[in-house]
Amino acid sequence: MLQRHRREVSLIVAILVIGAVLAVVAPGFFTFANQRDLMLANMPVLIVALGMVLVILTGQIDISVGSQFAICSVATGVFARMGLPTPLAGAAACLVGALMGGVNGALVAWVRIPSIVVTLATMVALRDGLRWVTQGAWVQGLPPGFQWFGQSQAASELITAGCAAVLAVGMNWGLRNLAAGRVVYATGSSPNAARLVGINPRLVVFAVFVLTGALTGFAAAFNAVRFLQIPSNAGMGLELKVIAAAVVGGVAIAGGRGTIAGTLLGVLLLSMIGPGLTFLGLSAYWERAVEGAIILAAVAMDAVRVRSGIHADIVSAQAA
Amino acid sequence: MRTSLVLKQRRPWPEICFPNGEWVLALALAVEIAVFSAIGENFFTWSNFFEVVRLSVELGLLALALTPIMITGGIDLSVGSIMGLSAVVFGVLWRDGGLPIAAAVGAALLLGCLAGLLNAVLIAKLNLPPLIVTLGSLSLFRGMAEGITKGAENYSGFPAGFLRLGQGYLWGVVPVQFSVLLVAIAAYWVLLHRSAFGRTLYVVGFSPSGARYAGIPVQRRVALLYFLSGLVASVAAVIYVAHLGQAKSDAGTGYELAAITAVVLGGTSVFGGRGTVWGTVLGLFAISVLQNGLRLAALPSEMTGVLTGVVLVLTIGLGRLRARAQRNEATIDEADSMKNSQLAILCCAVVGGSLIVAGTNIWLMRSLRPADIAPARTAARPGKRPVIAMMPKSKGDPYFISCRAGAEEAAKEAGVDLIWDGPTGLDPAKQNEVVEGWITRGVDAIAVSVENSAGISTVLRKARARGIKVVTWDADAAPDARDFFINQATPEGIGFTLVDEGARLLGGKGEFAIITGPLSAANQNSWMEFMRQRVAAQYPGMKLVAMRPSDDDRDKAFAETQTILKVYPKVKLIVTISAPAVPGSAEAVQQAGRKDVFVIGLSLPNLCKRYVHDGVVQAVVLWNTKDLGYLTVYTAALLVEGRTGQGSLQAGRLGTVEVRGSQVILGKPFIFNKANIDRYDF
Repeated sequence: MLQRHRREVSLIVAILVIGAVLAVVAPGFFTFANQRDLMLANMPVLIVALGMVLVILTGQIDISVGSQFAICSVATGVFARMGLPTPLAGAAACLVGALMGGVNGALVAWVRIPSIVVTLATMVALRDGLRWVTQGAWVQGLPPGFQWFGQSQAASELITAGCAAVLAVGMNWGLRNLAAGRVVYATGSSPNAARLVGINPRLVVFAVFVLTGALTGFAAAFNAVRFLQIPSNAGMGLELKVIAAAVVGGVAIAGGRGTIAGTLLGVLLLSMIGPGLTFLGLSAYWERAVEGAIILAAVAMDAVRVRSGIHADIVSAQAA
Repeated sequence: MRTSLVLKQRRPWPEICFPNGEWVLALALAVEIAVFSAIGENFFTWSNFFEVVRLSVELGLLALALTPIMITGGIDLSVGSIMGLSAVVFGVLWRDGGLPIAAAVGAALLLGCLAGLLNAVLIAKLNLPPLIVTLGSLSLFRGMAEGITKGAENYSGFPAGFLRLGQGYLWGVVPVQFSVLLVAIAAYWVLLHRSAFGRTLYVVGFSPSGARYAGIPVQRRVALLYFLSGLVASVAAVIYVAHLGQAKSDAGTGYELAAITAVVLGGTSVFGGRGTVWGTVLGLFAISVLQNGLRLAALPSEMTGVLTGVVLVLTIGLGRLRARAQRNEATIDEADSMKNSQLAILCCAVVGGSLIVAGTNIWLMRSLRPADIAPARTAARPGKRPVIAMMPKSKGDPYFISCRAGAEEAAKEAGVDLIWDGPTGLDPAKQNEVVEGWITRGVDAIAVSVENSAGISTVLRKARARGIKVVTWDADAAPDARDFFINQATPEGIGFTLVDEGARLLGGKGEFAIITGPLSAANQNSWMEFMRQRVAAQYPGMKLVAMRPSDDDRDKAFAETQTILKVYPKVKLIVTISAPAVPGSAEAVQQAGRKDVFVIGLSLPNLCKRYVHDGVVQAVVLWNTKDLGYLTVYTAALLVEGRTGQGSLQAGRLGTVEVRGSQVILGKPFIFNKANIDRYDF
């Protein structure tokens, strides 16, 4: 058990250490209000990470999610302005996301261009395309019922948290217990073996990209309703945060290995660091350095603890 | 049909010249050159060729360093950050440490080696995936650079002999740093393609365990590559500093992605085992020619990203299709290779899908604000209308977009053609490139909102030497590098106004916090400096307890403000000095229900109207941005016609405008509040 989940254990240790320091030095960190705000602020990372885990599990990667997020945010606002009720506008944004994910997926699965090339291309193209079309203008003048889905703030936050929790728990369960979840692991471990047992690996790859796009749209819509206007530069650097959370959470970049639970721990650790350092009163100038050091320390921990004998695999372990 | 793994005796010439299918890329490059020769001005000239080369040296070095790493199946995301850290340490040692230039360069290179060594140890020794390690060190190194300089420190004033490395020319035409790139290309070519060492890297990339059984010390080989990449990144840093004449913590931001793009465009497989130096060089030039060509054709820089994406998918896609057609292997993986007709349908579907995405986007935005999306003015007409090129600090920033509206208006009135282009994010190196492009293209006047004075002044002087009129607006360059500065407000004026307004609200005493843009933003840093001075001199009762970055991101400003409100419950005033961040801070205060906290800042009236009316935001300090754009273009037009007088000038609808020395004065910073905000629409 400990052997199999050593990254998760390392993470839990790291989280506990940081948590203990914070509990002693800045108990205010653990107030309900702060935890709620942190959860909501990191909700987009979490939801997108759920999709990203699947993509990475199949041995692919998607670095265009930040750009997709920006487009879906703007789309939510534009649909709402056209008169769609907010939930429908959100659903439409999911569709837009799924469409973009579909383009990525088709190029990866059937034209067989490596996913990092495809999503690098769509990342720059979508981001610059959006800039070109909007010229940086924000979406303003949203209908009055847009914010909080027309509910109260507390109710809307509860809906958001509920949806994210259901998604996370459902996907964690589904990945373990449903055939649709197992084929993702099978495809990532060995596409050829997967084919031989009757799985269509290309369809699986296509599907996970579409799902990631849809989840990105979902996250963008839920994020958009927290505000009164929608900037056109949202989601800058989101892809790095999401990938960092997944790989720190023990998802193997080569595919086939990793869990939703580990990723959630990764999101939790990374989301604690920034605000945690503010609570500790660290100067903003050194924050990024400390963040980087903590990531390195967390992943180095399990390597140092259990020195695996298979040195030769160092390179294969990373090929995306 | 099965082909065995026997090496062919005689290879046809295309395979010798393009061993990795680089012909697709070479073709793409040729098409680019042909198109831009037709539509760009002064594109197909020797001087422009060397200009392209000069601007791609730093990126080229990083791409070269990444090529062998990616051939072994690894990746190094930290190269851009190593550049930043080396540049900063070089500046510190030279200016503050008093080391001679050569010793400082040596120390910077040594630091690059150490940074590379850290990556190497973690990856090769501890067996960690390179993606995570370099993702972590990307933050670590950039963070150290920010920590050392406090984001603001900008080292400049390097001796001319050193600057020649990045700005000088050999025999009057060949840029000095080109020689460094050539040496690096030759070295990496020998290393990869003409040495046993290089062959082993391909073996490692194909099969690490196989390589180990063949007796190759995989760990040591891989470690050496990351070490080398640290060294090369610091060489790039030294050239970057010499090129821009300044060392700042944001040096090389985002370069890792551009370098990776060049490498994969060059046909290097991200799975390892495939790739050539030749391909990387072609990929590098495909990107830099595209950027340069778009500039010379006066097309908007957003097209760069879109076209880069298209070129990337097309070249790699075509290369894959060709490789598959050639191999025709019956491996399990390929057994279901599709018929051509299916493939054609699929390609159509993909292209169709992308068109739908693009189309809906455009259509949606049209439905949103039809007036705002007028097509950008493209190439100048052949007539004799003067061409004025105007650059914002960052194209996507709402602040600059509102300046543009005024600029377009003045261009129409004064009868000039306006080119509006600039970096899409804060990037001093990009600003230089754009100005260089305009000099090559030959415009009549250049108007720049300067991100980093030390860096851009050299190019602006060059422009003046070529007889181009230079105006700075929004933020100034060195006084001898421009004819006029359109002074909308001094940093002093902005800093003092913000503090005075804050002190008025707080009654002269209490705690306050600042939310800034990115930590390294030059403007914000100088405003904060004056804010601190004012507080120290005038308001002993006020105390700055926290300063947090927002990276010009509304959502980040929101989260940072939430945290500040909780960590510092006594904070009664948030001063947010980035246009997109003010609504974020306001929303955070509103949602927290903290009616006792004031928010003031520097932003656009349109972004803040609702919060001002709700009483969350008390004051927004700014000037009339439309007038700023208008006055800038009008002054440039007068300059070109030689009609600028002493003491004042006649600027169209603004009437008589005061000129103080070489500064055109727009007016004082203006405070927007509940009473007057509805009168302004920008």
